[in-house]
Amino acid sequence: MLFRLNPAAGQPLYLQLMDQIRHAAETGLLQDGDQLPGIRTLAEELVVSPNTVVKAYTELENQGLLELRQGSGAFLTLDRRARHRTDCVQHAHRRIRDVIGQLREDGLLDEEIRRAFEAELLYPAESLRKR
Amino acid sequence: MLWYKAWLETRTRFLISLVGIIVLCSLLIYHGDRDALPNTGPSYYYFVLRSGHSALCTMWILAVTLLTMGGLLREKAIGAASFTLALPAGRTRLMSVRICMGFLQAFALAVLPWAAMFAVAVSTGKARSIGQAGFHIALLAGGGMLFFGIALLVSSLVEGEYTAPVVSFGVTLAMSFLLGDPPLRAYSPFAFINGVEYWDRHSGLLVGAVPWAHIAASIGVTCVLIAISVKAIQRREF
Amino acid sequence: MIDAPVIQTRALTKSYGRVEAVRSLDLVVAPGCITGFLGRNGAGKSTTIKMLLGMIRPTSGDGAVLGRRITDPRENVELRRHVAYVSEDKRLYAYMTVEQMLRFTASFYPDWRHDIAENLLREYELPRERKVRALSKGMRTKLALLLAFARRPDLLILDEPGDGLDPFGIEQLLQSLVAICAEGTAVFFSSHQIAEVERISDRVAILERGRLILDLSLDDMRESYRQIDVVFPGLPAERDFQIAGIRRIRAAGHQWSVFASGNADAIVDRARDFHASSIQVTPVGLREIFLEMAREN
Repeated sequence: MLFRLNPAAGQPLYLQLMDQIRHAAETGLLQDGDQLPGIRTLAEELVVSPNTVVKAYTELENQGLLELRQGSGAFLTLDRRARHRTDCVQHAHRRIRDVIGQLREDGLLDEEIRRAFEAELLYPAESLRKR
Repeated sequence: MLWYKAWLETRTRFLISLVGIIVLCSLLIYHGDRDALPNTGPSYYYFVLRSGHSALCTMWILAVTLLTMGGLLREKAIGAASFTLALPAGRTRLMSVRICMGFLQAFALAVLPWAAMFAVAVSTGKARSIGQAGFHIALLAGGGMLFFGIALLVSSLVEGEYTAPVVSFGVTLAMSFLLGDPPLRAYSPFAFINGVEYWDRHSGLLVGAVPWAHIAASIGVTCVLIAISVKAIQRREF
Repeated sequence: MIDAPVIQTRALTKSYGRVEAVRSLDLVVAPGCITGFLGRNGAGKSTTIKMLLGMIRPTSGDGAVLGRRITDPRENVELRRHVAYVSEDKRLYAYMTVEQMLRFTASFYPDWRHDIAENLLREYELPRERKVRALSKGMRTKLALLLAFARRPDLLILDEPGDGLDPFGIEQLLQSLVAICAEGTAVFFSSHQIAEVERISDRVAILERGRLILDLSLDDMRESYRQIDVVFPGLPAERDFQIAGIRRIRAAGHQWSVFASGNADAIVDRARDFHASSIQVTPVGLREIFLEMAREN
């Protein structure tokens, strides 16, 4: 499991870890029922305080993404809503992959593609008006 | 395991001193035979033993001063005091072990060389009186403890890796000068451990009863010095 | 899980004549955490630690480590049974071998773990039969750490533990500290390696000239402290710009550098009110905070 925490990012480390675990679940790197590394193991691997890992796991458990089983460890639990969401996100990734592939074939540069996506995301009202 | 530590710390110095003193004293006694005047009989031999004793006394003072080098102040100069003081052992306990070890070693350094000298003397058929041997040992071990006390006090007051024994030697030397001449000579511990007051020039023997009162007084003063040393270390800031 | 603080001082003071090395210190260190202890040289960190361990007597005030009073000699000996201290000088006993040091130290601690000692001996590659005087500085540091870790203390106090270690050694050290914290030991370490302190600490306490000037959780720091660089075409007066959260403003003509301990959004809004032409918000690291606090005082 490859997480990387940045002490200089201006965000508490446990929040960074939570985001990365959530991201791993959304992209399917972590499947429902998978076990996450133990607190001590992960803390040693990332070289961060074990309290960071504890806080992240505890918060994720409160949000329903993890189940902390006494003595066994932390397991990913995707409830039906979360699982559906993960499926949607994965599906979206596939569609975006296709679109990008087509745009590249049309001759657009990656930088132009990126700016187009950003423009659409940031100013939806304008794009709606244009339509 | 503080005893283990005290032993490891001092064993090289102790063993070298012990062996060195035993060898030197034994040789002195052994060769002294050749210088003995003819026709003076076995009692003359005690002159030889007496010179052996003198040599032993001097070497004993030097050895004990060197052996007493150590303790928390020395560790402070070396950089190990933080480790010792962070152990769950009070300063009094740390000092007590060091004092007892030092005392036992000092005692051994008085008794064992004398035993060797006596063995050499007896084996060459020159002397037989255990009483004389006992008298000498009592004087050295009893009266000499004062030097142990002085060395201990200095090592508890003076910082530095080798400064304490140098200062102790200085103090000892100063004492020997100040107390060398007649009016003050009566209080000289050097004279005491050599048995000057009890020595009969004609027979070469120590005469009279063993001066237990004086020995007790000497040990009493030593105890006071030890108490001051312990107090000094207890109050020290590291 | 004990909730009582592992270290708690109350108006702890140490003066040498007229110089106050430690001034009325109220330090609280929580259990189960890694707490960093920062301060310039001579700020009073070592003096504080030595008072906690009974090596120096406080001039006034009191403190407790693991619930036991530091000023009572007997309680202080008791508390040391559960505390490991790795000091700045890691000289240990020159005349002992590594093996002898282990045996000697183990005899004082009933919770000594031989398996951990063996593992660390192997991991640190320390030769058992070599005398301490023949060890390099890095090896002596590792030995000192080994002797601290193997006794499974409730509190581990370290003073410049990374001194003498190469970057790989420091990484090993940090992992060991993290591991021992995961097992329940509270870690209190003072270091000049601010980057390392920033990585693994939960909280940090900063001492300057004997006084505690900052006691902060690193999560809060990362969330709240910001540097806001603003360019004002029309220069406002500094006093008009004061809002809660601003610690210091460094003005160089039209370029202002605002150091804030919180409330960054409000400060950005205020800068917009004053028609700033450029606003840049960046997170502030522990090093900057340390330098800033030291300068402030």
